[in-house]
Amino acid sequence: MDTFIQSIVSGILTGSLYAMIGVGLTVIFGVMRIINMAHGDMVMLGMYGAFLAPTFLRIDPFLSIVIWIPIAFIVGVLLYRFLLKNIVPAGELNTLLYTAGLSLFIANLVLLIGTGDYRTIKLKYAIMPLRPFGIAVPIPLAIAFGMAILITVALYWFLVRTDTGRAIRATSQEPEAAALMGVNVDRMAIITFALGTALACGAGVLLAPSLYLYPTVGEILVAKCFVIVVLGGLGSVPGAIAGGLLLGLVESLGAVYVSVPYKDAIGFVIFLLVLLFRPSGLFGVGKS
Amino acid sequence: MKKVVIPLAIILLFTAPWIVSGPFFVHLMIMVLMWTVLGASWNILGGFTGQVSFGHSTFLGAGAYTTMILYLKLGVAPWYGIPIGGLVAALIALPIGFICFRLRGPYFALSTLAVAEIIRLVALNWESLTNGPVGLLITTLPEVTFWGRSIDWESKTPFYYIIAVIALGAIVATYIMSRTRLGAYSLAIREDIDSAEAIGINTVQARVAALSLSAFFAGVAGGFYAMYLRYIDPDAVFSIALSVEMVFIAVVGGLTTVAGPLIGAIVLVTFGETFRELFLVGHLIFYGLMMMIVIRYLPEGIWGKLRLWFGTRS
Repeated sequence: MDTFIQSIVSGILTGSLYAMIGVGLTVIFGVMRIINMAHGDMVMLGMYGAFLAPTFLRIDPFLSIVIWIPIAFIVGVLLYRFLLKNIVPAGELNTLLYTAGLSLFIANLVLLIGTGDYRTIKLKYAIMPLRPFGIAVPIPLAIAFGMAILITVALYWFLVRTDTGRAIRATSQEPEAAALMGVNVDRMAIITFALGTALACGAGVLLAPSLYLYPTVGEILVAKCFVIVVLGGLGSVPGAIAGGLLLGLVESLGAVYVSVPYKDAIGFVIFLLVLLFRPSGLFGVGKS
Repeated sequence: MKKVVIPLAIILLFTAPWIVSGPFFVHLMIMVLMWTVLGASWNILGGFTGQVSFGHSTFLGAGAYTTMILYLKLGVAPWYGIPIGGLVAALIALPIGFICFRLRGPYFALSTLAVAEIIRLVALNWESLTNGPVGLLITTLPEVTFWGRSIDWESKTPFYYIIAVIALGAIVATYIMSRTRLGAYSLAIREDIDSAEAIGINTVQARVAALSLSAFFAGVAGGFYAMYLRYIDPDAVFSIALSVEMVFIAVVGGLTTVAGPLIGAIVLVTFGETFRELFLVGHLIFYGLMMMIVIRYLPEGIWGKLRLWFGTRS
């Protein structure tokens, strides 16, 4: 029983971060209909941001999120404005290939500047895990979980309550009708892409102390990210949150009850089954 | 012009080891030709039927492991193992095709990525067959005499001729395919899958056939890879990065063209391998950059564009 609760807890903790990455990808897909293969590399850049923070900025890796999120937002704006804007009208497959090129470019640039070594971040305050009710909760994951919830709630509030948020959702549902209602669709695309990039980068900062970081980590993260958004239905924000939590749970329960080596495969098998039998996602809210 | 260029290119292909020397250049040419085969393999599916696969390393890995396991466990020489590896890859492609081709466009691409990851994890954990993450190693290749002389496997030249034959085969197969019914069906599917279906093409069957042919060449290239490098492990032959590299070579060279993969491989691999010699890491940076430039400015690829120029001149 203890193992069960333990794996549920760690599943939810990791899942919250998966959810944050997934939300970024899904809003981008919703508004622009593009599958951003470079999304995982934005997470990777966030992870390196957190890694560099103590040396260069002399602040805690987690605190550096307040610097990296705005920077990632600006990077997102520039990427969209100067690189993606002209590609998106050329169709989904061209964008897929283009962002795959971008992904390879970013990962190899980091490989070239830094090295391919696996790195970890050591936090002074995070040597022993917390033990509430006898369940081990690693401190870095607990902090990341709290911050991920804060950010996701803030994003949700932004999408539901603000005018820009409403305009983004309208564009996502029906771009032409939104344009007729006076929504600047192009502007929404820029904001959404920047937002998605900022979320990915933020999630990277939060993940960094709990994972190994290396330049090509984005490859595996982006694959997981697809699992998450397809589980929840492409384009759906609540779906991506649920998908992220679900993948976190599947991985941690799978590691305990099925097998550690195959825990990643379980996620992909579920992904294939969902793609084949419920292409609009487990909750039937996405667009296929 | 074709009548001059093609025989010249073939003569050049088989005399190249006498013209250039030095192990690095022979290695470079071997890599260019191996990637030509992989690019041609991807082009058969991605270029002709328009189905973007991000999981072609599955077939490369299947071919590599088949060749390696046959040699190490049953003593089957690699020159039999390589074509058998291609056939195994083509067989594996059948169930994958019937499952994944229920999906279209980007969804198909994502499903192939998932299949490739599942297979990589299986290869990593099925230790009794694949030796797991430790990988498989060939220490010596069997002795072969060719025209009375024993072949020196320590030199790279024999490998060059083997891959030259395979690459020629892949290019010829692409040409033949483009002339057959399968090629015509594929193009119809690429242009508009619903219309193709409506005029009575069995699109699942045609796509599976193209995938299987494509997988055969990826498997053959995989078998060659295993024999040439003499070492494979799951992360080396089943990686997402390899699948992506195949896509890049085919797209940069020019999709749906016969010579495109060769041009793509010449441009990307030459630069990539030279870069690797100089800086050791990050040689794929140029692949990413070229991909972005090509998609933005040359959607028909380098060879596709050159062909247009030649076309207008003559």
